Amino acid sequence: MGNGGGRFWRLNHCVMVAACRKLHSHTISRRINVCRPPNYNRSQLPFVKETTLLRRYFSSSAETAQSQPELSLDLINIMDQKLAAIENRNSFLQAIVNQPDASPEQYSTANKELKKLRHTVELVTEMRKKHKEIEGLKLLLTESQDDKDMHQMASEELGQASEEEKRIRHSLLKSLLPKDDADERDCILEVRAGTGGEEASLFAMDIFKMYEKYSQKKGWKFEVLDVAESDLKGYKEASAAISGADVYGKLKFESGVHRVQRVPVTEKSGRVHTSAVSVVILPQADQVDVHLKNEDLKIDTYRSGGSGGQHANTTNSAVRVTHVPTGLTVNIQDERSQHMNKAKALKLLCAKLYEIERARADASRSRLRTEQIGSGDRSERIRTYNFPQGRVTDHRVGITTHSIDGLMQGENLDTFVDALLLQQEMDAIASFTSTKH
Amino acid sequence: MKSSTFTRASLSSILQPAFSPRPISGRPITCSAVAPKPQTPLHLRPPSFRATLSELQKWHIWAKNKASSVGSTFLDLDNGPESTLLHRELNWLVEDALEQPALLSRNNYDDATPVSVRARLDDLYDLWKQRIDERRPFQYVVGCEHWRDLVLSVEEGVLIPRPETEMILDLVEESVTQNAGLKNGLWADLGTGSGALAIGVARVIGSGRGRVVASDLSPIAVAVASYNVRRYNLQERVDVRLGSWFEPLNDVNEELSGLVSNPPYIPTENIEGLQAEVCKHEPRLALDGGENGMSDLIHLCNGAASMLRPGGFFAFETNGEVQSELLVDYMDSKVKGSFFDVNIASDFAGIRRFVTGYRA
Repeated sequence: MGNGGGRFWRLNHCVMVAACRKLHSHTISRRINVCRPPNYNRSQLPFVKETTLLRRYFSSSAETAQSQPELSLDLINIMDQKLAAIENRNSFLQAIVNQPDASPEQYSTANKELKKLRHTVELVTEMRKKHKEIEGLKLLLTESQDDKDMHQMASEELGQASEEEKRIRHSLLKSLLPKDDADERDCILEVRAGTGGEEASLFAMDIFKMYEKYSQKKGWKFEVLDVAESDLKGYKEASAAISGADVYGKLKFESGVHRVQRVPVTEKSGRVHTSAVSVVILPQADQVDVHLKNEDLKIDTYRSGGSGGQHANTTNSAVRVTHVPTGLTVNIQDERSQHMNKAKALKLLCAKLYEIERARADASRSRLRTEQIGSGDRSERIRTYNFPQGRVTDHRVGITTHSIDGLMQGENLDTFVDALLLQQEMDAIASFTSTKH
Repeated sequence: MKSSTFTRASLSSILQPAFSPRPISGRPITCSAVAPKPQTPLHLRPPSFRATLSELQKWHIWAKNKASSVGSTFLDLDNGPESTLLHRELNWLVEDALEQPALLSRNNYDDATPVSVRARLDDLYDLWKQRIDERRPFQYVVGCEHWRDLVLSVEEGVLIPRPETEMILDLVEESVTQNAGLKNGLWADLGTGSGALAIGVARVIGSGRGRVVASDLSPIAVAVASYNVRRYNLQERVDVRLGSWFEPLNDVNEELSGLVSNPPYIPTENIEGLQAEVCKHEPRLALDGGENGMSDLIHLCNGAASMLRPGGFFAFETNGEVQSELLVDYMDSKVKGSFFDVNIASDFAGIRRFVTGYRA
């Protein structure tokens, strides 16, 4: 699940299914235009129930090996324009690099850009080769009308080559889409109980543990940074550092308000209550990323009231780090050594500083980009967990899963993550086709 | 075997060190045949004991109540720990004692499931009683201290490394960054205790030609420091010797590239007034700095003037404000010209605690 080829097959189906939905109409219609298969006819499509959508995401590899969806002519034209521009740029840079009298700065700048373009250029070369192959096979077909066997073979090979060409095109499309560099990073998870008192704190703890179990299933490292407990041992606030491959890219969609409807443990009369928990996902950064200088930091530790040092034996090595220029403060206390508390505090501080910088950069981006999924509006209500009815709905992609217990055990979160990643790609394609190069 | 572990705790306050504080002979004291055997920290012991989950949960509730009952009485009495801190310590005791600490938070109190533990159930009761009733330091109770990025074995007879002392390693790191040549020489950590600074310095100067020699007057400290050095696989690079300050280094031919120490610096009369964890359980030998607390600091200063090579670095921890300044005054007057770039660095509480400098 979740590989490039399979995902584009599902892209097609997601588009068609989304077209049938009565919800989210304004966002869907814009995207349909982009990826329409040639014979697309809305009336022919069957109505698809919410639950069957899940089955499509879990489609077997046998199905995905067949036809790739067609890209629309518009999209292909735009791609070709951009690819031509990239090829030109590539030649220009190669010329610089090959000049014997290029200065070191010119050389290294050109080289850096060449590196970024290399993947796309390789794909273009592959695609052009494939086109030649296809041309050759087509010629063979017309020339072998009399030879049935030859014609058959050529026909089969042409079919295969066409499929491969489509696959290359999709990879090319992906390489051209805007990417978030932060996707590869580790992340910081912050969970905060919102409205709902004790019940919200208890649910905050449940959600925190859900992410812990999900991380373990993914083989990621889940390191608790800080927990503030409520009276009933729920979590008023909790934070963790999650490390692994592309963690931020997968978890970033969790930012937002998660709403829960259930009968609280404290509730005597069995009434269902609604409470909310806010989740924030920050990409991890190090001191270099945020240009953090030691002079900008003020570090405080717990003072035992006496002279400290040999005079005192305390196990309290809590550290408070303040970033003087911004006033940001982070407190970490639960590690067993001061050094480890300080290390965690700096990790969290750097992530927050990085987020401030990214938000500043985002503010100057186009309106289209900020409307897209994952743009991090933290007060957006993104998901509702309804325990009496046993279902969880993500409001951004309109998907519901009926195994709420499995989800809370960290099992089915991929359902949402994959759908959200897909939506992100569709958004990226929309943005790609609407911007002039 | 188990009972001997706990009689030691009470004996240590009666036992005097085998050697007097200021040995007269110039010969380095070699290890006698009765080298003490270091105890294994709780978290490293095999989980070969069993208790049922309900028995453990009963203990846990009893221990939590005991911690809560303290309130702020210790704090008011002698700046000791209050309940919040004790609860956190209890969590750590559970982490060290149980193979699967999370089991304790399961809700079924009738659970007869056998659970693997690194100590007997009776011992768990004894350990927590010692913590609360006798104010036995938490670090001795679990047999280890987390310090900087290390986990060090500690036991009665060994000073528990303080968080403030972590900064000495930061200062060493700064110094070798600016003077890379120092990394390849011989460093000394005198009064090494658990070996904390010796191990830390070895890791800072890296795996090149640099070496560390550590000394301590207490045989228990030497045993524990050696154990810790072996745990970090540094026995090829860190040499722990028994003896007083510089004496075990008499056969060292080269001059030192660096010298660090956290010597006893509490004035004798102040010791009784300290919190019970310190004055009733930690070794006097490691705390008592004489009448003004400065005897050993001065001794180290003199030694540094003769044993450090030109450009060699030193870092000493002191009581704070007054002692640091007195030490710097001493350097400027009694051993004038011996050092340059002498500096006083503050700890995170703002106390000017560390005197550093270079041999001229």
